[in-house]
Amino acid sequence: MSALSEFLSASAIWRDPLLASILAGGLLGFLGVYVVLRRVVFVSAALTQLSTLGVIVSLLVLEVLDLETEHQEIQLLVAWVFSVGGGLVLGAAGRGRRLPAESGVGMAYVLAGALAVLGANRLVHVAHDLNTMVFGNAVAVPFQDVVILVVVTAVVALLHTLFQKEIVFSSFDRETAEAMGVRVRLFGGVLFFTIGLAIPVAAHVVGALPVFAFLTVPASAALLATNGLQPAFAVATALGAIAAGAGYVGSWTLQLPTGATMVAVAGALVLPAWAWRRMRG
Amino acid sequence: MDPLVRLDGASLGYGGRALIDGVSVAVEPGDFLAVVGPNGGGKTTLLRTLLGLLAPVRGRRSAVSPLAVGYVPQRDHVDPLWPLTAGDVVSMGRVPGAGPFRALRGDDREAARRALGRVGLGDLWSRPFRTLSGGQRQRTLIARALAAGPRLLALDEPTNGMDPGAELSAMDLLRELHGGGGIAVVMISHRLEAVANYARRLAFVDKDQGLWEVGTLDEMLRPAELSRLYGRDVVVREEGGRRLVYPRAEARSP
Repeated sequence: MSALSEFLSASAIWRDPLLASILAGGLLGFLGVYVVLRRVVFVSAALTQLSTLGVIVSLLVLEVLDLETEHQEIQLLVAWVFSVGGGLVLGAAGRGRRLPAESGVGMAYVLAGALAVLGANRLVHVAHDLNTMVFGNAVAVPFQDVVILVVVTAVVALLHTLFQKEIVFSSFDRETAEAMGVRVRLFGGVLFFTIGLAIPVAAHVVGALPVFAFLTVPASAALLATNGLQPAFAVATALGAIAAGAGYVGSWTLQLPTGATMVAVAGALVLPAWAWRRMRG
Repeated sequence: MDPLVRLDGASLGYGGRALIDGVSVAVEPGDFLAVVGPNGGGKTTLLRTLLGLLAPVRGRRSAVSPLAVGYVPQRDHVDPLWPLTAGDVVSMGRVPGAGPFRALRGDDREAARRALGRVGLGDLWSRPFRTLSGGQRQRTLIARALAAGPRLLALDEPTNGMDPGAELSAMDLLRELHGGGGIAVVMISHRLEAVANYARRLAFVDKDQGLWEVGTLDEMLRPAELSRLYGRDVVVREEGGRRLVYPRAEARSP
């Protein structure tokens, strides 16, 4: 039996993980357009680290309290607190008088990473499957995670439908939007709230590396391949979903690590976008 | 006539620290106030306080409510990375008036088209903003401010970095827009010669000298006033119906 037919015959196993991966890729691809255009690519990396730290903190607290560490909803909740909180703080940080905003992002990234390593070092009971708990496992995604991802995607879609014009105006030209009466802090907060909401649940499904990749690569390819903002959103969403889906199928059939395959497929999509841009001048 | 916005005995600054004291000024409908001073002299602080984005450290700000403001930033503050057309950018001027929970409608797009036409760029609606020339970008940003249907048009160094021809053209456009519909204009500039032929009133601000003065053009374009602002002798003369303002050359030692 070929690898592909073997894959097709095992649909009961891959259906939920594939659906979750496609949803996560599309969601992050869409949000990535804002991440790239607002030039906050490394904010998304810092939020992924903070989300990981949130999971480690929840596991540590559960262990200290001698409670079951299987409660993934508690891990996700704490990860959301860290990720959304970090998003609101880092997203609101402007140009400082003494330090650039990037230094805050850098400090959040390395400190969250270091604290996650230190925290993981103190975990005793869950050390054996820590990797799955922290970085997810796209190969085996329970249906419950698909439902959470659908709900998060719906919330993000709703907020971005209701407030898109305000979020775009505040992101494109904060100074003017503020002067003309748009509540830029509120709508910047809505944007970073949605990014912070998406990261932990997506990281749990596809892992930290693909999250960072999907927030950067599909949007970059879309911005190269298109000339308008709405087409860029549509193409970035589609490319994120395609990269996640094709990466998942490719990793299964070629027996490769799932997250890395997804990132490689996403990276491969930039090449035709760049070539298209070059051809059109 | 009630002023659109006024400051009474205001101290302006950030974080409770006053940079400029004793600022009293009222902007009335149809006014054209140019605020002139050196870079870093407090012009933007004054503009932000007038617009209500910054509370006075002391003193009082009052304004009519609601006050529709059209704002024009320095054009290099606008990020050319965004894949937006001139029409998209001008349409943003309709966002504050449209309110949340709904997309812009056909009438908003129509108002934006009219605004772009008013600045003479009606045929560039679909052109990517990043491919426009510097002067065209500035006009597009002015059109966005106009699309809001403002009573107060506030401009931050709108001719910064422009060549003399583009600067004259932009200032002529502002005069035309100001003359047409009773809009009050507040414009900040570090170049007195750019505004001396257009504004009705002038304000000089320089926090380092503790300088704040406001008056009509004739009151402010006196050599004594100008010498205070620039710290050296300044010549004002008329040529071909235009005021020329320039510093007197230092006498060279033999």
